[in-house]
This record gives sequence, structure tokens and C-alpha cells, in this order.
Amino acid sequence: MLHHIKNKVYHIEILPPKQDSQKLEADLELFAQKYNRVMESGYCACITDNAMGHLSFQGTEMIEELGLEVRPEQVMIHLNTFHTLEDLHNILDTCKSKGIKYLLVVSGDGSERLPKLQPSDVGAEGKVESVTSVELLKYIESKYPGTFTMGVAFNPYEPPEHEFEKLKRKLDAGASFIITQPIIEKNKIVDELLEKYPDIPVIVEAWMSRKLHLLSEAVGYEIPENTQYDPIETLKSIHKLYPQCGVYLALLGFKTQYHLIKDIWV
Amino acid sequence: MILTSVTDRSKYSNVWVVAEFLSDKIQPVTYELVGAARKLADKRSSKVWVVAMGSGISQQVGSLFAYGADKVIVVDDSRLSGFIDELEADVLARLIGKYNPEIVLYAATARGRALAPRVAVITNCGLTADCTGLDIDPENGDLLQTRPAFGGNIMATIRSSNHRPQMATVRPRVMRALEPDPDRTGEVIHETVEMSDMLKIKRIIDVFHSDETTVNLGDAEIIISGGRGMKGPEGFELLRKFAAKVGGAVGASRAAVDAGWIPYSHQVGQTGQTVQTKVYIACGISGQIQHLVGMQSCDFIIAIDKNPDTPMMQLADIAIVGDVFEIIPEIMNELSKM
Amino acid sequence: MKIVVCIKQVPATNEAKIDPETKRIIREGLNSILNPFDTYAIEEGVRIREKFGGEVIAISMGPEKAIEVLREALSLGVDKAILLSDKEFAGSDTWATSYALAKAIEKIGDVDLVICGKQAIDGDTAQVGPGIAAHLGWVQATYVMKVEDIQDGSIKVRRMREDGYDICEMNFPAVITVLKDINTPRIPSLKRRLAARQAQIPVWKPADIGADTDKIGLDGSPTRVVKTAPPPAKKNVAKRIEGTPKECAEALVRELRMRSII
Repeated sequence: MLHHIKNKVYHIEILPPKQDSQKLEADLELFAQKYNRVMESGYCACITDNAMGHLSFQGTEMIEELGLEVRPEQVMIHLNTFHTLEDLHNILDTCKSKGIKYLLVVSGDGSERLPKLQPSDVGAEGKVESVTSVELLKYIESKYPGTFTMGVAFNPYEPPEHEFEKLKRKLDAGASFIITQPIIEKNKIVDELLEKYPDIPVIVEAWMSRKLHLLSEAVGYEIPENTQYDPIETLKSIHKLYPQCGVYLALLGFKTQYHLIKDIWV
Repeated sequence: MILTSVTDRSKYSNVWVVAEFLSDKIQPVTYELVGAARKLADKRSSKVWVVAMGSGISQQVGSLFAYGADKVIVVDDSRLSGFIDELEADVLARLIGKYNPEIVLYAATARGRALAPRVAVITNCGLTADCTGLDIDPENGDLLQTRPAFGGNIMATIRSSNHRPQMATVRPRVMRALEPDPDRTGEVIHETVEMSDMLKIKRIIDVFHSDETTVNLGDAEIIISGGRGMKGPEGFELLRKFAAKVGGAVGASRAAVDAGWIPYSHQVGQTGQTVQTKVYIACGISGQIQHLVGMQSCDFIIAIDKNPDTPMMQLADIAIVGDVFEIIPEIMNELSKM
Repeated sequence: MKIVVCIKQVPATNEAKIDPETKRIIREGLNSILNPFDTYAIEEGVRIREKFGGEVIAISMGPEKAIEVLREALSLGVDKAILLSDKEFAGSDTWATSYALAKAIEKIGDVDLVICGKQAIDGDTAQVGPGIAAHLGWVQATYVMKVEDIQDGSIKVRRMREDGYDICEMNFPAVITVLKDINTPRIPSLKRRLAARQAQIPVWKPADIGADTDKIGLDGSPTRVVKTAPPPAKKNVAKRIEGTPKECAEALVRELRMRSII
């Protein structure tokens, strides 16, 4: 992952269509366009896993069904704990056969309809009440040793002591890179993170939507709805503040912003 | 039956309660239903009858008079030991045809909710599920049945003017039983089962009593309940510790259950359990109406939430504004000092 | 085995809007979803077919838009789907709905097993499943948490009770209603989802199922919604405690002591 940072490779999040999409065929087409554009730019496409608990198609089935080309350095699959064991293995097996090596392993958001991995599924019965990214990391490493390069999430807005303790367990479980929640300015906890783990690649998330208030829940305080926010300028400042970090772009506008990011990271 | 004339209507009188038995033991909801039936019967100047179906139950029906029943029909038959829906529906439909009650109330339990719709179809009657309010229309004597609908967002009042009897189910702990009067007495009528070949096509093989299948929140004195504000399964770990400290049970809102943080058996609300505990502590629960209808008759409600303006914080007797993750450990601390 | 699964389209949100005329919910303009409990009914039907062979048919009664939940059922693995839709059906209560569904099941013919979800989340009545069984004169098992076995024309199920469960065995034909405990429904694959979008779904009218028009729709319904109102207002004004966590905790424990709760 370090070479992604060195080579200034953006991580660009793309969301597969939702299961209940009314215009599925058009959504599939759009997904393919975005994916291919990321490939052509030499960036890394990061495909979400039922983001926010919304039932969506899997990155792996999108790649298979749409016949998308996999360049191993340029694809990252999010993987959370809301799957049946069978589906989990389907996803991992497809990743393996397609040569997808980067996984972002997170606990994830559930919903009524999403099945949840049980401790007994991943050999953690009696050890934990519920499966988190830590158990999932250990399980993947035990079933697919050496196959994947796995990253984990870090939330600088949670109580830091607790968050650093969790991070340590995630790293102990086999994670080798870190992606943070969106930051919009210098962040003390991120600074602390970089100081603590100078050798682990850290990718900070940049919020590319103009609607900053959508971040309210993530940061834990109310951001007023009419807050002025310039994502591109913020992205520039993040590069200045954190030159040693990679950047993950959430909610990037492919029509309005994509062409603007080309020369920012220099 | 469909009513075709005014004289038809006058053929029907009295308020019936179908007694609820579990393993041939009479259940408290029966007394609650008798209490509700008593009020309706008084308004209609009619009587309260209870239909008790089960095996070896004859000795238990005496208490029904103390709680307000005037007459009890006992159908005591070994074939009624387990719950054979069709058998009980057949008995009830026959008794309804014979005695023409005006109103029939059932417990909205697993058994009552299986039995009542079957009887309603056989007798061609309207049925309203999970009523939270029952009253008589002073103008025409119809039963006015109020129930939460649409996830509890509205209260609907329903009537069945052209059909008799009028049928409703009521969940346990929604109505209050009357103070028992040991001096009240009444009449017992015995009836029999006729539909005898049913057991050839349906059998109860076994019955298992278990604490694990349902977390019986109804028996707890204190419920510590969590919602979306608990943020994840770890949040419920904290609530479990809190509950263990105060000897309470852990409840949850639908949002928390749907998110997979805690099993469905802990869910309080319209699609979960209705509770009437002494103390209910709502932690990070905004208070969707579907949740409130399941717990608002608890005696003392405490809410803890960052947001002071949620419906739950308005409903609560004590509303604590703050972070549940900081406040609960402090409360446990304070309790340890005692 | 021929299995029919009865499903319903329900509003996705909890924003109730009521038609002042009919006092029923205005469904137009609201997002609609497959009733969550029905997903478990579909999954169970599909699992039984996968194990014992046969076919699974999903039926639904509702406006034309309800065809969406039938496509959902197809993507979840049922073999066929049929919609009952006509203005004559509109306004049906649970009695009339279960009558219409029963007539459709008779029309399908040779059905062994009908599976319904425990209840629908818009009405929460749990009355349609037993209603169908009663109209057909079939045996029923409600609140089923597990299908234990199927053999020789009979089904053995585990039924939830308030104090545990029982094991009940019934001969076919039968109706069961299922709880969420019964299975973990699959997530449709993109492949199946795309196929379901192309499927032809027949629409049946009252005449197609030989339904007596006096027994369907608003006129065929014994119950009438006569009034809707917001839920009762809050009972009192809360006593509010604010401050540091420690202060809050102390104040609460003091209050509880004063009331002899602890």
C-alpha cells in the first residue's frame, strides 16, 4: 500500500447499485463507466459492501457480471461482517480467482435484511458476543493465508483511548493499512495515529460532497445544513497537511469533480 | 353472521372472553380481558361470559367470577390439552351459534391470534387485532375498537356494524384486571367437543418449556432498554452489565434489533413485546411510536439521551441529557456506593 | 410438492397519510417494499423445494404496483408469481383478503402447502394466514419457528408459544405462518435480479378465481375503519437532569431513592 502513496494513487470509492434500484440496467452501465475511468486514470477503485446497511450488489458480482477487467493494484473490495458464511466465502473465492488482493475489512452497518456472521461461523464461539472486523480479519487470514492485503478503518471522532485499543487488536489480527473517517482539517487524533504507527500506511478520507452536514453523525456533533464547504480546496489542504498519507475520496462527483483532481496531488 | 335487520341485532347479547390457558394453566391476561369485558357489559346492560377450553381446567374457573365474570362455559376435554387450532375454533364457532354473544374478546397471544381469525372466518364476523381501547358507541351500541396501525403512527378506530358477534384481540398487559371480589359468584355451564376426527390430521407431538426461546421481559421489574444510540453490540454489553447490577432485563428498540445488535427476543414495542414494568430505563432510544406503545404504561420511565427533544425524553418521568456511554458507568458507580 | 407463498407489498416508511374518505392509508407516493416477514416465508418455501422438489408460486393481492414484490420473490428463488389486482379487491380487510387469496389458491390447484409471513408490518394483524386456512378448510400452524420434517404427505413444525414451543404434525394440505427465527433469507444475486425484471407475471381478476364479489373489497369486509387519530399525547412533563455525567448519576440515584425504587 505504501507504493500507492508514493505513486500518488487516489483511492476512489464507488458504490454498486442498490438491490431495489428501479433503473438497474442504467445503474450497472454507470458503475461500469466509473470503474473503467478509475482504471484508466491509474487510481484504485474501492467498492463498498452494502454501504450504510443499504442492500446493494457485491463488487465481486458486478465485476463478474459486467465482465470488468481487474488490475490487482487498482481494486479494493470492502468487506463487512454482514454476510452469511457461504456468501462470505463466495466473495473471497471470487476475489482470489479474479486476482483482487486489497480488502478493507470493517464491522459495517447492518440492517434488518442483512444476515450477520455469527461467532460460531468464524471460530469465535464463546470468545465474543458478536463478530467484529477483528474476528473477520483473523478468519480470513486463517482460511486464505497470505492471499490478501487487508486494511481497517480508524475513527478519529470516537473516544481515542478506545479507538486506539481497537486499532491495536485489528493490526494484531492481520491488518496492514489504515483508512480513516473523513477529515476536513488538521486532526489531533490523526496526528497521534501517525506518530504511533510511522511504518503503517495511513490513508485519510477526504469528503468530496459539498453537503458537509452529512458528516454530522460521523464526527459526533451537529454541522449546520447550510455550512459552506469547498471539497477541492479541502483536498488540497489535506495533501499539504498530510503529505505522508494516501487519500481516499468519498462521494466524488464523476461529472463535476473528477477532472479537477488530476493535478492536485503533486 | 351478517345482520340483515334491526331485530337481528337484538338477538345478540353479552360480552364473551375466551380464557387463555398455557399448559392448562389460566393466564393473567384472562382476568385483564374480563376486566375490559365487565366495563363493556355494564354499558350494554348485559353479562360477562367466559369460555374456558382445556384439559383438567374445571377447578381453575372459580376465580373468574371474582374478577368480574357472570357465567363460565367450561369445555374440559383431554383432546383440548395441546393447542389444536381447528378443534378449538370449531367448539367456539358452535357455542357462538348456540348462545349468540354480541362481543367476543380473545388474548392476542400466539394461541389467541391463531384462533380468533379462524373463528371470524367460520362465523363470518369482523375481527380487530391488538386493540388498545374498547368502548361502546352510545348511539347504536356498536363496539368501537381502537388499535395502533401503520407501525403505531396512527390510532385507528374500527367497527363492525353489520356483523355479530364483534370480535377483538387484546395483548397481555394492555388492559387492567379489576380488584378481585371473593364474594362474587356465578354460573358454570359445561359443554363438549364434537369435532372428533380432527386429531387424525393434526397432532401435538411434544411440548417444550424453555426460557431461552423468549426473553420474558414481562416478568422483570426493571428493564434497561437500548436503541440506535447504543451504536453497536458493544453498547448492549454495557446495558447487560447495567441490568445485571440492578437485577433487570435488557430490552431493545426495533432499530437496534434490525441492526443486528441484539436478538429479536429482546424487542419492546408493537412488533415486539409489550411491557408494564416498575422501572423502564430507555438508553439512546428516540421513541418511535411503535416502541412507545410497547412500554408507555410502565410505572416509572427514565430516558438517557444526548438529544433532549426526542419523543422518549418527552415521555419520560426523568430525562437525563447526556452521553449514555458516560452516564451509565457513573450510575453503576453510584449504585456501588450504596 | 406444490407450495404457495402469500406476500404483501407494504409502505417502507412510517409516515402515515390517511385518506379522509376511506380512512385507509394512502399508499401512492410512498416507497413500497416486500413485507419483511414474507421474505422468510419465501426463503422457507424455496428451501423446501430445494430439498424435496416441486415448485413454489408467490401470490400477492394489491394494486398493479405490487408486481414489484412479486419480482422480488422471483429474484429470491420462487418459480412463478401471480398478482391479484382489480378495483373490486380494493379496500379488503383481512377477512376479504384471506377469502380472495384462498380462492386463488383453489384456482392454482393441487397445492400442498401455503406459507405466509407471521404478519404484515403495516397492519400487524397476523389474521390473513389463519383466515386463508379457515376459508380453505385446511389445517394451520402459526408462529412456526422451524420446519422439522416433511414426509408422506405431512409436515412437522415447531410452533412458538409464550412459554417455549411445541412440535405439531399436520397432514397436507396445510397453511403455516413463519417467524423470523425460521431461516436467514438469501440476498438475491445480480443474475437472478436481472432475470426477475424480465419475467411475465399474470394478473388475475375476481372472475379469474371465481370470487364472489360480495365477499371482496370494501363491501365484502366485515370491519370498517371509522376514525383515525394521532396516538395519545404524552402523559406528563419530564423532570430533566443535566450536568456532568457524575452529577447526572448522583441526581438520578437521589430521585430513585426518594421514590423508594432502590
